Amino acid sequence: MFKKILIANRGEIAIRVMRACKELGIKTAAVYSDADKNSAHTQFADEAIHIGAASPKESYLNADVLIRAALSSKANAIHPGYGFLSENASFALAVESAKLTFIGPSADSIRAMGDKAESKIAMKKAGVPTVPGAEGLESFSEFERAAQKIGYPILVKASAGGGGKGMRIVWDANDLPEEIDSARREALHAFGDERLLIEKYIADAHHIEFQVFGDKHGHLVHLFERECSVQRRHQKIIEETPSPLLSQQLRKDMGEAAVRAAKAVNYDNAGTIEFIFNPSDSTFYFLEMNTRLQVEHPVTELTTGLDLVQWQIRVAAGEHFPYQQEQLTQRGHAIECRIYAEDPANGFLPSTGVLLQFIEPRGPGIRVDSGFRAGDTVTHFYDPMLAKLIVHAETRETAAKKMQAALREFVVHGVVTNIDFLQDVLAHPDFANGKVSTRWVETNFNWTPSSKPSFESLIAASLSDIVMPGSKSQVASSSEFDPYNPWKNPSGFRN
Amino acid sequence: MKITFDNITIDITASGKSYLAAMGDEAVDVEILRAENGRLEFLIGGDRVTACVSSDNAKRWVTINGRTYLLTRQSGSRRSAGGHHHAAGELTAPMPGQVRAVNVSEGEAVAKGQTLMVLEAMKMEIRIQASQDGVVRKLFVSQGQTVEREQMLIDIK
Repeated sequence: MFKKILIANRGEIAIRVMRACKELGIKTAAVYSDADKNSAHTQFADEAIHIGAASPKESYLNADVLIRAALSSKANAIHPGYGFLSENASFALAVESAKLTFIGPSADSIRAMGDKAESKIAMKKAGVPTVPGAEGLESFSEFERAAQKIGYPILVKASAGGGGKGMRIVWDANDLPEEIDSARREALHAFGDERLLIEKYIADAHHIEFQVFGDKHGHLVHLFERECSVQRRHQKIIEETPSPLLSQQLRKDMGEAAVRAAKAVNYDNAGTIEFIFNPSDSTFYFLEMNTRLQVEHPVTELTTGLDLVQWQIRVAAGEHFPYQQEQLTQRGHAIECRIYAEDPANGFLPSTGVLLQFIEPRGPGIRVDSGFRAGDTVTHFYDPMLAKLIVHAETRETAAKKMQAALREFVVHGVVTNIDFLQDVLAHPDFANGKVSTRWVETNFNWTPSSKPSFESLIAASLSDIVMPGSKSQVASSSEFDPYNPWKNPSGFRN
Repeated sequence: MKITFDNITIDITASGKSYLAAMGDEAVDVEILRAENGRLEFLIGGDRVTACVSSDNAKRWVTINGRTYLLTRQSGSRRSAGGHHHAAGELTAPMPGQVRAVNVSEGEAVAKGQTLMVLEAMKMEIRIQASQDGVVRKLFVSQGQTVEREQMLIDIK
């Protein structure tokens, strides 16, 4: 087993990986950029190494510096987390060349699945259903012809992409030029690769993905699905398992297709096969494979009872994954909400600032994976996700209730968050009925925050100005000394 | 004393053991049970309310029953909502980020809805579009530049 692991990431996922290391008795090395000097993840590790400027390109995306940091700290392995270099085949290769272990799949598997166009061809060959589309397009007229043939609306995607970056829905041929230019720019900046592909856009589609897990000895299973259809800007905000849409038979069929897909690229370690699911005829299509640990892995952990990060480390060290497919079962229902620093009332624009309060909910069946504390600064350099709130309960209905209660306890001040928005999604009948498709937030929900501040909130703000320390306001009172101001009360009132 | 948030004025007067809070023609008795850093417990007409409150200059963040309100305190003399006021053709950055592309130059004629520049923040693209037909009077930023929220980007005349 490894003696020390360098975690080439930041925030909640870095801390999540460090927890697994600590439980396995492995030392941890954190890395940080200028912007993360005092971030929670640096203090959670056994040591922390500075790797460069705030801009990701100069720090968390700088492969050379990360590998040098791992070597100088005498780590034996690098865990990439998700995002940044986690799906970069050259990085995985460079890590192995430096005689370190990359905790994840082989560079070949990453490369095979990382290119959306190539992976689609490989999937067709493996008998996994794929969405009608066109790859390898270059000139604008080629795009135009292919789009015409498939029929609008079409989806433009970055070949190297993921996470909705470089992705555009084009409804009309007139919008194609600008959308292609803009998607190219975004793809180039996010992935260093401007190639795009297009495919048929399926309306009212659900996003259902399967967790797969394999070891280095050819054993690979699936760990059931995650329903990730609640999205905004093509990015997931609520994930759950099991999916309310799948029958046992569909679950079996899709699970087998996922295993076929992963085996086609000799996959090992944790990975996710994403499917587009059409609820009107229960057909499903391979969308892409994420060759890394997924943000939403906790819902799978809670329902299967497995610690995916510990198993990632153990199979990377050469251990056998001991469970056969028929031994694996799910218990209860789990839901995850991503708590974002963003303003749902204003196009989900990210919100930055200093966290004045950050109070996480607690209680039975509640898990919070977070990388922030009160006093931390949320900057514009990185993803605006503050935390993941995950609940586990007996049924979907009780899990949704537990999530709503937990969200009500989550207090974040200093940046605008999506907490109120998430509460209203969970309380919506469409969510209860499993009718939320990937564009539901944009097309059906049309959320607006309660327009007027409540009388209670105005009273609270006023009282706070009057009684809180540092307040300059004074209430007119009959006596000069206000005996009822608790800040001036000499008794043990505040205990 | 009168305190105004977002054009709503609350009048708070100390009255015996408690306070009287009035808004418009609504008035309630308020008794503070506990006040500690960022947390306030009080009774409104006998019902217990727990609020988390934070202050940041004029801004007040208030969370009650899981709902968070962002209020802006106004001083008595100023009636405007506290935000910066810009002339119609002046466009400012909606969020902090970096200028990814500038598609126009000074003196160029632009049409309403035209994409003038592209900002990027948190790996997301935001298009800055002309709010009216006109001519680019001045460009305040260039490609690659980092901008703060509300920073002036471009002026269309």
